[in-house]
Order: sequence, then C-alpha cells, then structure tokens
Amino acid sequence: MTTATATPELDYHSDRYKEAYSRINAIVIEGEQQAHDNYIDLAKLLPQHQEELTRLAKMEARHRKGFEACGRNLSVTPDMTFAQEFFAQLHGNFQAAIAEGKIATCLLIQALIIECFAIAAYNIYIPMADPFARKITEGVVKDEYSHLNFGEIWLKENFETVKAEIEEANRANLPLVWKMLNQVEADAKVLGMEKEALVEDFMIQYSGALENIGFTTREIMKMSVYGLTAA
Amino acid sequence: MFGLIGHLTNLEHAQAVAHQLGYPEYADQGLEFWCMAPPQIVDEITVTSITGKTIYGKYVESCFLPEMLANQRVKAATRKIINAMAHAQKHDIDITALGGFSSIIFENFDLEKISHVRNIELDFRRFTTGNTHTAYIICQQIEQAAPQVGIDLRQATVAVCGATGDIGSAVCRWLNRRLDVQDLLLVARNRDRLLHLQAELGRGKILDLMEALPLADIVVWVASMPRGIELSIEQLKRPSLMIDGGYPKNMGSKIQHPEIHVLNGGIVEHALDIDWKIMEIVNMDVPSRQMFACFAEAMLLDFEGWYTNFSWGRNQITVEKMEQIGEVSRKHGFKPLLLNPQSN
Repeated sequence: MTTATATPELDYHSDRYKEAYSRINAIVIEGEQQAHDNYIDLAKLLPQHQEELTRLAKMEARHRKGFEACGRNLSVTPDMTFAQEFFAQLHGNFQAAIAEGKIATCLLIQALIIECFAIAAYNIYIPMADPFARKITEGVVKDEYSHLNFGEIWLKENFETVKAEIEEANRANLPLVWKMLNQVEADAKVLGMEKEALVEDFMIQYSGALENIGFTTREIMKMSVYGLTAA
Repeated sequence: MFGLIGHLTNLEHAQAVAHQLGYPEYADQGLEFWCMAPPQIVDEITVTSITGKTIYGKYVESCFLPEMLANQRVKAATRKIINAMAHAQKHDIDITALGGFSSIIFENFDLEKISHVRNIELDFRRFTTGNTHTAYIICQQIEQAAPQVGIDLRQATVAVCGATGDIGSAVCRWLNRRLDVQDLLLVARNRDRLLHLQAELGRGKILDLMEALPLADIVVWVASMPRGIELSIEQLKRPSLMIDGGYPKNMGSKIQHPEIHVLNGGIVEHALDIDWKIMEIVNMDVPSRQMFACFAEAMLLDFEGWYTNFSWGRNQITVEKMEQIGEVSRKHGFKPLLLNPQSN
C-alpha cells in the first residue's frame, strides 16, 4: 500500500492563488453579509427570538469583518459582483420564503444549508489557509456551530408541523448548492480544497442536523444527496 | 454500547446492497459518488450472551470501498475511516471495532495523527482493531479444523502468509508457544520485518509465497490486498487446509478441489441468534449467528465493560492477551467457524 500523498505547498502570494482567492473570499464575505441580513429578517418572523437572532446577526457581521481582513492581508480585492451573482438564486428563495412567512424554509436555507456549507468549507479550508486566515477561520467555525444549533432547535420543536415544508425546501434549494459548488470547484482547488472532501463534510454536517431535527436515517440518506448527481 | 465500522466488498456489491435496501440515490452511482458519501448508522443490533446479559450496538457504514485503494483514492479512503470513527464517537458508542480494511487503513496511513475531526477530538480508547480476537480465533481454527481433515499438527508444516502483520505475527506467536507444529513458514513482503519476527520467535523459515505453498499442510492467509490474490490448485499441497483470514475472502470460490479444504478464517459463530440485518448483507452463511471475530471483540469488550482499545497499534498482540480475549469469547458463547462436515 502506498503512503498518503503529502499536502502540496501553497504559494499564498502567487497571482494564481490571489486570483482564485478574490472570488472565494468574496463569497465568504457576501455569505456572512447575507447571513447577517437573513437573521435580522428572521427576527421579524420570530419576534420571541429577537434577542437571540440579533445576537447571531451581530456575530455574522463580525465574521464578515474578519474575512475582509483576510483579503486585505493577502492584498486581494474581493470580487463582490461575482459573489452577489453567486448567491442570487438562493438569496431570492430566502426572500420569497420571508415574504410568505415560511419560517421553516428560511431556517432550512440559512441555519441549515448555508451554515452547514460554511462549516464544511471552513473546516476544509483551515488546514490549507495562510496563518492569518487560519486563526480567523478557526474562531468563526466555533461560532457557526451555535447558529446551526438555533435552527435545529426550532425545527425540532416544530418538526411534525413543518416536516413536509422542510422536505420541499430541501428539494428546492439543495440542488442550488451543488451547482454553486461546481461553479467554484476550480477556484477552491487552487486554495487546496477538494470538492469531494467539501461535499462529504457538508453531507456529514447536514445529515447530523437533519438527524437532530428528527428525520430517520432513510429520510436523511435521500434528502442529503438530493440533486447531487444531476448537478 | 458497542459499535462496528464496516464497509462493502466492492462497488458492485455496494450498488446491489443500496438497491436492495431501497436507496436508488446510492444504488445507481459510481466510485466518484462513494468518495463523497458520508458515514451512516445503518443497523441497530441486540446481542445476548449465554450468560444472559444483553447489550446493544450500532453498525456504522463508512462508505469506504476497496476500489478507493486500488485507484489511488487514498485521501478519500482515509477520510472515510476517520469520518466513520468521528460518527461513532458522536453517537456515544463506548467501544467500536474497525472492521475489514478500516484498521489496515488506520495503521498504514498513520491516522492516529488526525485526532481532531471538525469539532470532535477523537478518543482512540473508544476503538479497537479487534485483531486480538481475530488472531485467537484463527489459531483455534488451525487447532480444531486440522483434525477435521486428517492433518496431525505435530507433523504439519504451517505457512503464515502476511506473517509480519498485526494478526499474522500474533498467529505466529501462538503457533510457537501454544501449538506443537513441525515447521513454521514465514511469508511476507518486507524482509527486515521477517528477520525481526524470526529473531523474536527463535524459529521459522523465511520463504517466498510460491516456495512455501507446495510445502504447507496448512496455509494461514492473513495478508490483505484490495484485489485479493490468484492461486491455482497446482501450487498447493494435497491434502491441505487453507485458512482464509484475509480480506476480502474469496479463496473458497476460487479453489475447489476435494483435497483442498478452504475455511473462512477469523469468523465466529454465536450460540444465540443476533437481531441484526447487516451480516446477511456481507454474505455470511448463517447471518443470524456468524460474524467477523473483530466485530465480536467489540461485543466482548462491551459485555465485560472493558471500555478500552484492547487491540491497538501494530504488532502488540501477546499470547496472554489472546488468552484473555479467548476466555471471554468462550464465556459469552462465541465459537470459531469450522469446516462443514458435509462439504469434506
């Protein structure tokens, strides 16, 4: 049996790295900004949780600042136009759900799908990151687990009434995530992040969240891969 | 609670099982998909000892496939094992056995270095390779199956293929100390390790596989290779006993001759039926009672409340530890699989 291949050395200051970083960094910044806005919007639908949701929103804003600093540290200008287009469809779905008062759909998109994806991406990124970004990202990951927790608890408490809505929201939104991932596969690879590791980590995180909410293994296995191979 | 980390034999098998279990999303997919698939708990198990004690367990499917090693997908392979271990720990399993290739991958790729997985700090004391029990059971199979086919151990030459591995070296130690065999042939790829083992035992002849096979009355096969090995009847002594303790077990279907007896090595049979589905899927002859001895080790540790990595690290298995696990194996009703009298 061969030994495990060594991790390739990354040149954080090469043009190739910085070019890829300008898009990935922008996605992360935009993702944190939208997360902030989404939690503020959610607080309107869940006034009894306003304090908690405002706290989470503030946390997201802090993360955004941290990631902006990561870009500056490498002298990279994030490509925010790219990032806004990247999130457009998912953002549109979230806004539509807010407008219709679909709390479960909103929580599935923001607190589960986006947070699980962020956690997976950050976990895969950390061992490959430059020392400055590594420290920031490690701090962010710890916080992100608490967001996931908020969504899980609410969906668990309301599981019976919102189960069908969660399943429908999963069908509508998970395929978007796979498409988004394919869009940045090449850039992520330049940063030392492999798609299959990202997908696997996401599915572990997402399956765990669905399990905590109350879905069975059979349901989880179907839901967590929905649309993956078609993407 | 005990856990078992397992995987399927190959991609084709995995697709068939997924289909059978009603997961079309998994059934129609190729290797790429399995490289991304997360671990899942796919079975809940209840086992009762002949002492009357009942324990509960979970089966974690790691989604590892041997093709990952054959196709150089080493990163995917190692991720599967580490993620399955994290999954077991997250589900509060006290002691989990690493079945099939899992422990081999863990050892070969030095996964002990990866103790931090996401927000989980892996506690290696909660895992066992199960190799001590496997080695013990293989030794029992040698001792009990040899007379079944008319081989007198005192006059027998025993070849251990994969002698320097964790299980192989343990089997050699037992053969040396506890059984009176005429000749012991040591077969493995690494000559330095072979010399080291020979020095430790104070006996044994180092031979190439093709030199050893025609001489051996009993061949203990404990080497593991992703693709198995091609053997032909002409290379083997007749009569002889082949104990297939490797992985995957495919010798029985390949070697069919009235004077060559193939026994699936490292398999135990429990005295009572076990409530589980998974052994049917891994093609045991008597799925309600038979299983890999490494899995049974996790059950034994749970029965006894020995929540520790009983089998861990390479070549640490002593005859005393084999005796210790052997005693509780008998106590709780496990027996080594022997040759079926009708098939001889």
